[in-house]
Amino acid sequence: MTQSKNNRTASLELINEVQQFLYREARVNDNEQFREWLTMLTNDVHYWMPYRYQRYRKNEKEPTIYDQSYYCDTMSDLEKRVIRTETGTCWSEDPATRVAHVITNIEVELTDNLDEYKVYSLTTVHRNMNEDEEHTMIGHRTDLIRRVGGVLKLAKRKIILDQNIFMNKSLNVYL
Amino acid sequence: MQKVDYNKYIDTKEGWVDRRIFWDEDIYEQELKQIFAKSWQFVAHTSMIPNVNDFYTTYMGEDGVIVARQQDKSIKVYLNSCPHRGNKFCYADDGNTRSFTCNYHGWAFGIDGSIGALANAHVYDEGDIDKVKCGPRQARVDSYKGMIFATFDDEAPSLEEWLGDFRWYLDMMLDNDGETEFINGGIKSYVNANWKFGVENFIGDAYHALWNHDSGLKAMNNGEGFGPAVQEGSYHASVNGHGWEFGTDGYADVAILGRPKWLEYVQNVIKPKMEKRHGKLRSEIFGSLASVSLFPNCSFLPGIQTFRVWLPRGPKKLELRIWTLVNKNMPDDVKQEINIGCMQTFNPAGVLKMDDGENWEGNTQVNKGYLTRQEKLHYGCGINREIEHEELPGIIYEGQFNDANQRHFYQRWADLMNADKWGDVPTRYTPKYAGKPTV
Repeated sequence: MTQSKNNRTASLELINEVQQFLYREARVNDNEQFREWLTMLTNDVHYWMPYRYQRYRKNEKEPTIYDQSYYCDTMSDLEKRVIRTETGTCWSEDPATRVAHVITNIEVELTDNLDEYKVYSLTTVHRNMNEDEEHTMIGHRTDLIRRVGGVLKLAKRKIILDQNIFMNKSLNVYL
Repeated sequence: MQKVDYNKYIDTKEGWVDRRIFWDEDIYEQELKQIFAKSWQFVAHTSMIPNVNDFYTTYMGEDGVIVARQQDKSIKVYLNSCPHRGNKFCYADDGNTRSFTCNYHGWAFGIDGSIGALANAHVYDEGDIDKVKCGPRQARVDSYKGMIFATFDDEAPSLEEWLGDFRWYLDMMLDNDGETEFINGGIKSYVNANWKFGVENFIGDAYHALWNHDSGLKAMNNGEGFGPAVQEGSYHASVNGHGWEFGTDGYADVAILGRPKWLEYVQNVIKPKMEKRHGKLRSEIFGSLASVSLFPNCSFLPGIQTFRVWLPRGPKKLELRIWTLVNKNMPDDVKQEINIGCMQTFNPAGVLKMDDGENWEGNTQVNKGYLTRQEKLHYGCGINREIEHEELPGIIYEGQFNDANQRHFYQRWADLMNADKWGDVPTRYTPKYAGKPTV
């Protein structure tokens, strides 16, 4: 059982609802339904994938939003990215990339706000492009999921990628 | 073995380049020896290692090096390889330490690269090892306005001579309003492309932006594309193989970031100061549609502020390291606007960068076809457009949609590939600012 600080436990019903939300989000992304994906985010969403430092343990430091990052986006920033895919001149996405998001290790924690849940998950993104280019990315996600008008929406996401040198020419998928 | 004349791979008069320079292993090995073991290369920005004992690890060619701030605040650059069995003695990207210790047998190294204590030192008899003679090889180090450069060639000309009149242009980026710094964190990524395709894209390829980046620009610029290519009042400038292509519209690159605070800051703070200190022309150039590469492998976009090196990883792969350059005295919110803008345009998930990587991999990987790589590539755009300009230093061509800087980059490449000694390197341009400051 997953427990919050004050020992209240997420119900099986809630865990199921959050899982279904994350699976649907993954499917919507796999199918390039980016406008629909944006509706699954709150208007004040912060979508963040920081750069991960490789330093000696004695020198370790946490990334901040003022450091370089892969993503550090608000809703209007994400909208710009979606606009790119709608221009009809997004040459590198035609033919389309094949993407599969596998979402696992989901843990749901209650927070002090009854409408907000802290959710941990692993995303394994398998990307196949052009003739035979394959790339697998594993991201450790920490989400804040909020109930807005009865519907779950993603309000915050932090993704820590298990790579130092990003192993491919572009990051053309959301993790 | 018969000496190869590398001029056979390029023709700057007719405008073509032989594709084998993007593929052949033996040409690549010669590049490591003739280009990367000789050239001054950008290794770090001073702001990455501000404190005593700060260090950063990078590569010169494929030679791993440590760039480290010394007790006296000077900077040393030395090979990251233990002289005992060769292992890297630092595996971190950066940090702060008084010493490094090789994991294999426990040899310690000071921040200056000198050999310190050996683990279990009693196994050595007196006279077995001369620690001073045995230490890892040190590079020559110099800096220009925050950019730290190093070379392992004792005979290479001074950094000032190497940069030459290109300093006149660099000052627009590095000295437009005091000192500069990098935003924390440099993002590294692999591209399965020859390193030269990244460099030549930034050195003079405004042309690709109109077509290739149409979607990215529309995303960043409220649905507006680039508009027609403007040749009037735009130029290519080449000095010692470095190249800057630019317009004089003043704001096109700044606008690409799509960040109003940055645009206002350029207009209200930077431009008026530049006009006084650098003159009207340079204040008009900064922020215009432009891109830059320093020979051999460092690039940036003035106004967009993305800064990068293209580290060779064999002829078919490069490691790209990306930073964001800002002025130290900018307000924090302006720095953050630039940081976010660079992230969104030219980092690995950037709406412009994503399209570039595809092209450069394609340019490179098609050459696995034997017949394909016998076909020459066309670099003839604007070949007769060279002009004399009373103010602009360097070899100048009119019209920024032009292959001129690329032709001169490959000429410099061939000149160094052929040279047995520095005296053999032809002088292609006589500097106006030799021994003089450029601002």
